[in-house]
Amino acid sequence: MPAYRVRYVRGVALAVVALALCAAAGVALAGAPSRVAGTINVWVVPEGADAMHDLAQAFMRDYPSVRVQVTPLSWEILYARILQDVSAGTGAFDVATWDVMTAGSVARGMLDLEQFGRQNPDLILPGHDPSDFDPVAWRTAGLWEGKNIGFPFYLNTMFLYYRKDLFNDPNLKSQFRQKYGYELVVPDTWGKARDVSEFFTRRNNPSSPTEYGIALMFPRTHTTFYEFLLFFGPYRRSDAGMKKFGPISFEYGDYFTGDLKPAFDSPEGVAAINTIKSLLPFSPDPLGSDYGETIEYFARGLVAMVPQWGAAWASFKAAEALQPADQRVGVALIPGGHSVSGNWGLGVNASSRNQPAAFLFAQYATSKVADKGKFLKFGLLPTRTSTLNDPQVKAADPRMAVLGQIVATQTHRPRIPEEPRLEDVAVGTFTEILLGSVAPEQGLRQLAQEWTKILGR
Amino acid sequence: MDRVWTALRYAAIALALVFFLFPAYWIAITAFKVSAEWFTWPPIVFPTRLTLGNFLGTEGGFSGSLATAIGGIVPYLRNSAVVALGTAASSTLLGSLAAYALSRFKVGGMSLASWIISVRMLPPIAAALPVYAIFLKLQLLNTVWAVMMAHLIFTAPFATWILLSFFNEIPRELDEAAWVDGASPWTVFLRVVLPLSAPGLAAVASLSFIQSWGEFLMALVLTSSSDAQTLPLFLGRYITGWRIAWGPLAGAGLVTMVPVVAFSLVMQRYLIRGLTFGAVKY
Amino acid sequence: MAGKPPASAIGLGRGSGQPTPLPEARRPGVTTTLARRQSRTAWLMVAPLVLYLAALTLYPFGYMLVMSLFRYDLASWEPPSFLGLGNYQAAFADRTAAVSWRFTAVLAAAAVSIELLLGFLLAVLILDARGERWIRSALLVPMAVPPVVAGVAWKMLFNYQYGPVNWVLSLFGVSRVSWLGDPFWAGVGIIVADVWQWTPFVFLVLYAGLQSVPDELIEAARVDGASTGQLLWQVRLPLLRPLLWVVLILRLIDVVKLFDIIYMVTFGGPGSATHSISYYIYKVGLSYGWDVGYASALSLLLLAVVSLLVNLLIRGLRLRELLGF
Repeated sequence: MPAYRVRYVRGVALAVVALALCAAAGVALAGAPSRVAGTINVWVVPEGADAMHDLAQAFMRDYPSVRVQVTPLSWEILYARILQDVSAGTGAFDVATWDVMTAGSVARGMLDLEQFGRQNPDLILPGHDPSDFDPVAWRTAGLWEGKNIGFPFYLNTMFLYYRKDLFNDPNLKSQFRQKYGYELVVPDTWGKARDVSEFFTRRNNPSSPTEYGIALMFPRTHTTFYEFLLFFGPYRRSDAGMKKFGPISFEYGDYFTGDLKPAFDSPEGVAAINTIKSLLPFSPDPLGSDYGETIEYFARGLVAMVPQWGAAWASFKAAEALQPADQRVGVALIPGGHSVSGNWGLGVNASSRNQPAAFLFAQYATSKVADKGKFLKFGLLPTRTSTLNDPQVKAADPRMAVLGQIVATQTHRPRIPEEPRLEDVAVGTFTEILLGSVAPEQGLRQLAQEWTKILGR
Repeated sequence: MDRVWTALRYAAIALALVFFLFPAYWIAITAFKVSAEWFTWPPIVFPTRLTLGNFLGTEGGFSGSLATAIGGIVPYLRNSAVVALGTAASSTLLGSLAAYALSRFKVGGMSLASWIISVRMLPPIAAALPVYAIFLKLQLLNTVWAVMMAHLIFTAPFATWILLSFFNEIPRELDEAAWVDGASPWTVFLRVVLPLSAPGLAAVASLSFIQSWGEFLMALVLTSSSDAQTLPLFLGRYITGWRIAWGPLAGAGLVTMVPVVAFSLVMQRYLIRGLTFGAVKY
Repeated sequence: MAGKPPASAIGLGRGSGQPTPLPEARRPGVTTTLARRQSRTAWLMVAPLVLYLAALTLYPFGYMLVMSLFRYDLASWEPPSFLGLGNYQAAFADRTAAVSWRFTAVLAAAAVSIELLLGFLLAVLILDARGERWIRSALLVPMAVPPVVAGVAWKMLFNYQYGPVNWVLSLFGVSRVSWLGDPFWAGVGIIVADVWQWTPFVFLVLYAGLQSVPDELIEAARVDGASTGQLLWQVRLPLLRPLLWVVLILRLIDVVKLFDIIYMVTFGGPGSATHSISYYIYKVGLSYGWDVGYASALSLLLLAVVSLLVNLLIRGLRLRELLGF
C-alpha cells in the first residue's frame, strides 16, 4: 500500500473516531438536563474507594457541570455518619454506599429511587435496567420492605483463599497422607480444615512451609459478627438445622429461627463456637487481627489459607510474595460450604439538596459499563446478570468459577434496624467466649437474653 | 563507683530517649519504606531502600493506593491549619480578656474562676452529642467554624487558667500608676499588661494550637467531607478499614505530625512555661 | 538559665512569697466611681468567654439532663418517649458499662502512677545532666505528636507477627505477645501508649519544680552535711508535693477522657477489655445506633465522677491564693 494511502486511511479513521467521540459526548451532554449541576458528596467504604474515585473522574468528564467529591470512610465511621445524617436530615452526603445489614436502619433516610425515576423520566440513563441486577443482589442491596433504597454497587461474599502451590506440592501431599490418612485437598468441612491448618502450622509440624495454617479474625469490630456465621451456617442450613430452627427470614437472617428467636442459643451454636476454638491455635493472633492483619498475613506468605471477602483478591494479585498469583493463589468455597453475604448498595440521601445529580451518579456508577469496568480494573465483584455472564468477566479471575455456587448457599446477617446494636453485644460476647472468660453455653444464653431485650420482646 | 553511677545514669537517659522517640521515628521511616518493607521480620529499623512512592501514590504491591495516597491530603492540611490557627487566636483573645478581669477585678469571685477552669476538664464525649445538636440547629455542620468553636470550649478555659498566673505576676502597682494617670482599664490591659505578658500569650497560643491540631473526637462528630475535615480524620478513617496501606498512612501521619512537632520545638520555652503554669522562667 | 520564681507563682506557696492583694474597694487611691466603672469594664471583659462557654456547656448539660430521661434512639426511627430513670437503671445493670468503668479505673491507677514515678525519675536523672536542654527538647516530642498519629504508630509497633515491640522482646527470648488480642496485654498496651505520651508532661512539670527549689535551701542543707539522697528526699521532695498533687489530679482527669488511642489501637477489644468509659459512650451514643438517651445518662454519670476530681483539683491548686481572693 502506498504511503500516502496509509496516511489517508489513517486520517479518515482518526476523523471518524473523533466524530464518534464528539457524538458520544454530545449524546451524554444532551442527555443531561440542565438541572444536573453543582457538587455532590459521595461517601464510600475504603475497599470500594479506588473504583469510586475512578468513576467520579469519568462522570465529571461526561458531565462537566457536576463536581463529585468522594470521601472514603471506614465501615465503623461510615454507618454511624449515614445514620447521623439521615436522621438529622442535613444532607451532608448525597450518595453513599451502605452495607446490606444496615439496610433497615438507614432505609427511612434514603430516597426511593424507583419512585424518583418515575417522577423524573428525563434523568434515567439509557440502558439503566434494574431487572438486569442479580436477584439476590437486588433483594439485599436494593430493597427494604419494598422500597428501592439503592442500586447494588458491588457484590461481596466470602471466599477461601488458599496457597495453590502448597496444596499441589506432591511432597507435602504425601506427608499429609501419611499423617492424616487421607488426601491433602482444599478442605470442604471445618473438621478437615482443622487438620489442614494443623499440618501447615510450624509449631505442630516443623516441616510446614508456612508458619500458620489459617488466618482468622475475631476483633472487636463488626468482623467477628459475620465470621461466626461461617461456622454456624453449616448447622443452621443443614437439613436437621432447617427442620429444627425453621425457615430463614431475609430480614432477620441466619442468626434467627423461623419464629424470630435467636438460633445460636442451642447445642448447634455451642458446636459452632467449639469449631472456632479448635482452629484458634493454628491462626496468628486471631483475636487481635482484622482485615488489615489477615490480608497482610496471607499476602506475605505466612499462612496457607484465609477466609476473606471477594475484594481481597485485588491485594493478593498484587502481593510480591504470591507471584505469579495465578499459580500461588487458589479460590474455593468456605469450608462447611456457607459463605456470608456482604453486598453494598449505592443509595441517595432523601435530604440531598442535589437529588438530580445524585440520582444520575448512582445510576452511572452501577451501569453495565461501570459494573464490568470496576470488576476488571479493581476486582470488585459484579452485581449485574449481564456482567456475571460476560465471557471476558467469567475468564478474568478464579473467583468467578465458584461465585455462583457461593452466592446460592451464602448465609445472611440481620438487616433489621436493631442490627448494629445486636451486632455490638454479640461481638463482645463472642470474643469473651473465645477468650475463655465465659463458658459457651452460658455466654450464648446471656447473649440471647440481651437480644430479646433489645428487640423489645 | 561514681563513674559506674554516671554511666548507668546516662544509659538510663539514653534508653528513655529511645523509648520516647521511637514511635515518631517509626512513622517517619515507614513513610519512606517500599511496600515490601512496611512489615518484615525482623523489622527494618534502618531502611536503605527509600521511596517517595507512598506520597505520590505510586508505591505498588497492594491494592487501595489511589484512595490512600496522600495526594488528596491538601484540603485536610488547609482545614487543620485554619482550625488550629483560628482556635489559637480566639482562645488567646478570649482567655486574656477573661484572665485579666479575674486577676485584677475578681469578677464573679472564686466560683466563676473555678467554673471556667472546670470547663477545661469536661470530657469531650460528654459534650459531643449536644454540641452536634447545637451546630445542627445553627446549620454549621461540616464547616471549619463548627470545629473551631468546638475546640474553643476546651482551649479557652485552659488559656484563661494559665494566663491568670502570668497576669498575677505583673505588679499591680503598674496598673495603678496608669489608672492614676487617667488610663482606662482597656488601655492598661492593652498597653501595660499584654506587652508584659507576651511569653504567656505565646504559651497559651502554642498550647491551644497543638491541642486543636491533634483533636479527633469533636472533628469526627461535626464534619463529613474534605470541606471541613482535619488531618486526624484523614488518618482515623482507615484504621479499622480494609487492608491498611501502612506506607501512605505513615506518610499522612508524618504530614500531620511534623508541623506541630516542629512548632512545639520552636516554641518550647513558652510551652514549658505554660504547661508548668508559669513556674519556670527563661 | 532557669530563674527561681517564688513558688507562689503557681499558687503553691504556703503563705510565703507575694503579699495577698487587698480587695478592690479597700485599695487606697481608688475612688468608688472608678471602682464601679472598672467593675463594669471587668464584666465586659469576661463576658465573651462566659457567654460562649455558657451557651456551649450549659445548654448541653440541660439537653443531656432531659434526654437522659427519654428513650431516644436514632436507629429505631421513633420519636423520643419519656422513660424516667430507666436509662440510669440500665447503666447500673449494663455489663459492658461495668467493664468500661473498671478498665478506666485500672487505667487511672496504673498509667497515672507509672507516669508520676517515671516522670519523677526522669526529672531526677536529667537534673544537671550534660545536654539537659537537648534531652528536654526531645522529650517534648511525644506530647506534640497528635494522638491519632501515635495510634497509627502503636498499631504497627504492637503487631503480633511483624511488630518491633515483639521483635525487641524476642531478643530477650520472650515469645510473641498478643498485644491486641489478649485482654491483659491489650490493657498493658494502652497503658504503655498513654505512658509514652504523657510521662513527658509529668517530667516537665516536676523538672520545673525541682529547678525552682531555692539555692539557699540546698546550700543550707549541704552545709548541714546532707547527702545527695537526703537532699532529694528531705529537701526537694517535700517542696514538690503540692505540684505532684496538681499533676496527679490533672492526669487522672485526662485519663478518664482517653479515647483516641483506644479507637486507633484496640477498638476497645478484645472482647470489651479495653473499653474506657469515654470510648463506650462513643459507641453507645455515636457509633452503634445513636442511642441518645442512654448515652446522655452515661455521660452525666461520667460528669459526676469528673466533677469530683475537679473539686479535688481546685482545692489542690489553691486557687484562692492563685487568684488572690
